[in-house]
Amino acid sequence: MTLLLDVEIFRLMLIMAAPLVIAALGELLMERSGVLNVGIEGMMAVAAVVAFLTALRTGAVAAGLGAGMAAGALLASVLVYYAATLRASQLTVGLSLFVLGTGLASLVYRAVIGVTMSTPTVETLRAVPLPGLAGLPVLGPIVFSQNLLVYLAVLLVPAVSLLLFRTTVGLRLRASGENPRALDTVGVSVGALRWGAAVGGGLLIGLAGAYLPLVVTGTYSDGIVGGRGWIALMIVIFGRWSPGWALVGAVLFAYTEALQFKLALVTKAVPPQFLQMLPYLVAIVVLVRVYRGAEPPRALGVPYERESRV
Amino acid sequence: MKYLAAIGIAALAGLLVVLVMGGDPGSALGTFLWSSLGSLNGLSQTLNKTCPLLLGGLAVGLALRAGFFNIGVDGQIYAGAIVATGLALGAGGLPAVLLLPAVLVLGGLGGAALAVVPGVLRARWSVNEIFVTVMLNFVAAFLAEYLTTGPWNDPMAGEAISRLVPEGARLPMISERSGAHGGIVLALAFVLVVWLLLERTTWGFEVRALGSNPRASRVAGVRQARLTVTVFAMSGALAGLAGAVEVSALHQRLILGLTPGYGIMALLIAVLGKSRPPGVLVAALGMATLLVGSDSLQRSVNLPASAALVFQALIVLSVLFAEARRPAARGTA
Amino acid sequence: MGASVRLRMEDVTKRFGDFLALDGVTFEVGVGELHALLGENGAGKTTLMNVLSGLYRADSGRIWLDGQHVEIASPRDAVRRRIGMVHQHFELIPALTGLENVVVGRETSRWWFRRDREAGAVEALARRFGFTVALDVPVGALSVADQQKVEILKAIVRGVDVLILDEPTTVLTPQESDHLLATVRAMADEGLAVVFISHRIREVLEHCDRVTVMRGGRVAGSLAIAEATEAGLVELMIGERLARLESAGPRPAGEAIALRVEGLTVAGRGAVPAVRNAGFSVGRGEIVGIAGVAGNGQQELCEAIVGLRPAAGRVELDGRNVTGARVGARLDRGLLYIPEDRMADGILPTLSVAENLVLGLHRHVFTGRLGYDPGRAVAMAAAPIAEYRIAPPSPTAIAGLLSGGNIQKILIARALARGARTGTALLLAHNPSRGLDIRTTTFVRRCLVEASRAGAGVLLVSSDLDELLQIADRILVMFHGALVADLSAEAFDPYRIGRLMAGGEGG
Repeated sequence: MTLLLDVEIFRLMLIMAAPLVIAALGELLMERSGVLNVGIEGMMAVAAVVAFLTALRTGAVAAGLGAGMAAGALLASVLVYYAATLRASQLTVGLSLFVLGTGLASLVYRAVIGVTMSTPTVETLRAVPLPGLAGLPVLGPIVFSQNLLVYLAVLLVPAVSLLLFRTTVGLRLRASGENPRALDTVGVSVGALRWGAAVGGGLLIGLAGAYLPLVVTGTYSDGIVGGRGWIALMIVIFGRWSPGWALVGAVLFAYTEALQFKLALVTKAVPPQFLQMLPYLVAIVVLVRVYRGAEPPRALGVPYERESRV
Repeated sequence: MKYLAAIGIAALAGLLVVLVMGGDPGSALGTFLWSSLGSLNGLSQTLNKTCPLLLGGLAVGLALRAGFFNIGVDGQIYAGAIVATGLALGAGGLPAVLLLPAVLVLGGLGGAALAVVPGVLRARWSVNEIFVTVMLNFVAAFLAEYLTTGPWNDPMAGEAISRLVPEGARLPMISERSGAHGGIVLALAFVLVVWLLLERTTWGFEVRALGSNPRASRVAGVRQARLTVTVFAMSGALAGLAGAVEVSALHQRLILGLTPGYGIMALLIAVLGKSRPPGVLVAALGMATLLVGSDSLQRSVNLPASAALVFQALIVLSVLFAEARRPAARGTA
Repeated sequence: MGASVRLRMEDVTKRFGDFLALDGVTFEVGVGELHALLGENGAGKTTLMNVLSGLYRADSGRIWLDGQHVEIASPRDAVRRRIGMVHQHFELIPALTGLENVVVGRETSRWWFRRDREAGAVEALARRFGFTVALDVPVGALSVADQQKVEILKAIVRGVDVLILDEPTTVLTPQESDHLLATVRAMADEGLAVVFISHRIREVLEHCDRVTVMRGGRVAGSLAIAEATEAGLVELMIGERLARLESAGPRPAGEAIALRVEGLTVAGRGAVPAVRNAGFSVGRGEIVGIAGVAGNGQQELCEAIVGLRPAAGRVELDGRNVTGARVGARLDRGLLYIPEDRMADGILPTLSVAENLVLGLHRHVFTGRLGYDPGRAVAMAAAPIAEYRIAPPSPTAIAGLLSGGNIQKILIARALARGARTGTALLLAHNPSRGLDIRTTTFVRRCLVEASRAGAGVLLVSSDLDELLQIADRILVMFHGALVADLSAEAFDPYRIGRLMAGGEGG
């Protein structure tokens, strides 16, 4: 069916993939350092509302993005504080942050905006066609006429890869997620690495959250994150904790989402809700197929305690 | 005691929020307590709210005892509600003595059926259930949306509301005047049932063993795969029952928004209650009070419902903080 | 032996909660001295060295290096003070290469990590002490002896004056041990102060200069090797003269076969199978040992026999085919299993002692789907607690808090209790005395011998050759997943078995 290969779908796919890639890379950094963050959804919600409100007040999208990133970093710091310093259960803290974030986002929006007749909007980030490249057939409109954040998302993939596999910091980060004690015995601070990964990861997760109101919809509503935080979590597993494959996973999921939008516009035969279910069901199927043989970093989710008696 | 400190922190945060919203903390506290516990109406509302929270908390807690994270209670509530409504609308002619129990039981089965999916995936392929249960929440919610706006819609009632279920499928009220329905009785009964299951049956023993060390349980001959599926089924059944009760007793119809995040709250309730039925009961009552109280504040001080979620999360985080301060014991990290 | 003292630890005390791990320990090592720290498991040797290497902070006591008082508050301090430690359980990162493991934490550049720059110094160091090891292979794929070499390089690459080796020979074959000890001797001869932690008296007597014996967190004695005797050291270690464990003696040649395994093949990671075409049998009343260096497929073999892992081939218990039967069915047919990793595979840490004792038995005792009775479980726990002297003797104590030895007793008691109900055909034990003190170890071995005397077949899979030599009737050797030899008691020669364990010829 030519519908499946429609240029519009691919264009939309990249737009929708960007936040997933960015959030997944942020989570990947945290998980590679050994900290499991299941609160991404809540963090993205807070980042979204903060970014939207900031952009509304200041009129500048950049300010909004920055604010969103800061919010993400802040919440991630809370998580790593509980995880690395207090050594609490990472799953419980993550889930609490999910709830906290979801509730807080809604609360903050209502507190600032109150009940109004018309929904406030902001101008979304414009597309920046790359000179020359944007004129190419097929690839031009799909890849080279996107907004800046899409380009950033794509560039982040090799950047994170380089960081993890070619730098000293990356080596230590990976060690921290595999065997933190080995690092400790040579005098490297595991806590500092995990905090660093969390702040960095949080900045990215915040950026991904800010992307949703500032690039896609131009408004904020409860539920704007729509499960994407959870999808990002799955993408990290799908990508076997490597940046390149995470990009593939994000693009695949975004494709299903874009496809579903298009189908909803085109066919009246299937009720829209069933189409909306599609990406989520596909995500489950993909996860199941990919789960076998996925090897997480060995120390993922385990709090490191120096004096624990082995 | 650290729990009181935790609640204290949340209460302070709440009063702070009230201040920010421009209200008066003193009267807010008064309204809060009166509306949830002080009046007969308020108490009834609290008990009504306790029902899904308690059943949901039991569901999550049961799964947690076995070491599983059932984040899909919202979806399972919808599943149970859908099956219950479907049966009620379809077999409305049956006498109440048959219809009502059938509606409740099949509601439970509906929730169980949805929960069995992540259960089987976990049992056969070790797929982590967190993601699967969350995804299914969305799927079930969409299904409910479709049904309430489409085939089951009651055009005179509103956009996403189904037709009324027949009399025979409605759970009796405890007090017609105050509005308290019989669901709480069921929920309390299940507190006992779940406790008995966990502490006095071999199944429950195996569940607890599984939660303590799944590998060691397997090595000792426990049938891990089978047990995984039954735990998820049981957990889903409790959630499904909650959904059926909401339809049968509270709304008398299926509506979108049947669960305003009860599943997520159930998660926190289970954690606070340490996954043990008596603890879950206390936590559920507490949360229900919080919800009803903040509901009324919503009207008087313009406090949105989502505030309750924030408070609940803060309580859990405070408790975790307090627990982590214990000195390092002789043991592993 | 050097005349000057390089290291002095004085009056060191360390508590973990109520447990007093070190009680006023004073310990000295000279320059160029190979000093053994001897003691049974739990005596405090590793704890003392963890204090020295900065992993633990002592509650009181002082440390002097070359006459200077020093504070060691963290591993980083220890590294700066030129103290290196080779841990008993390697602190390596399996997913990273040998080079990355050695160099992590002291990379030459803050930013870019470049193989060629880092490798030079490491390779030179290896050559100086006569080792060869592949540095560009992920450490997880290396043999245990090679992993240990990486661990050693890691400890010395920063430049050390004091080197601590924690039970380094436990995982090596006799030949590899000799090689290691020669290397360590060379290091001591260069002026390094070497602390050699061990519980193997013979090794200590053969290679070290001085020995300090620890017992129960205290120093029981410190002497030059020239003045030490085996019996004297044992007495210092355990505080009393221990009777040698009587060997089982000749057993009636039984016809009945408890376990027969044919063509057993178990998949491993990747293309190479973990167990290749294993075939052997264990007679009732016989103790068969499987010797081998850890990691040659023993775990997979045990799991395949128990039914925890899918395998091709045939497994028969008491003549009945149990291939493909699930774990519970095999256990009910009389297969008893004591797993190697008691924490991961054996005990339910958050449940009580009584609940742990009844696990596996519960379906036999509490008949029907309902009817679990905690009171009855507690009552049933009284006998095994008394008989096996489990401490603390409380059925409601939380099992995870008990010491390793007591946990092992629970696992053995549970297995034998199940056997008493279902009839024991075969007792399969994998490294049952790992990490246990002498008294408990003797107890465990006695349990195995008694089980065989009572008519069960015993399959003892162990990396501890001494254990096998002491009680086995036959020894099979496992190497790279295959059984390469089947020796009966008369042919027991530790060096020959050692060669077989390392893949060499048995001749």
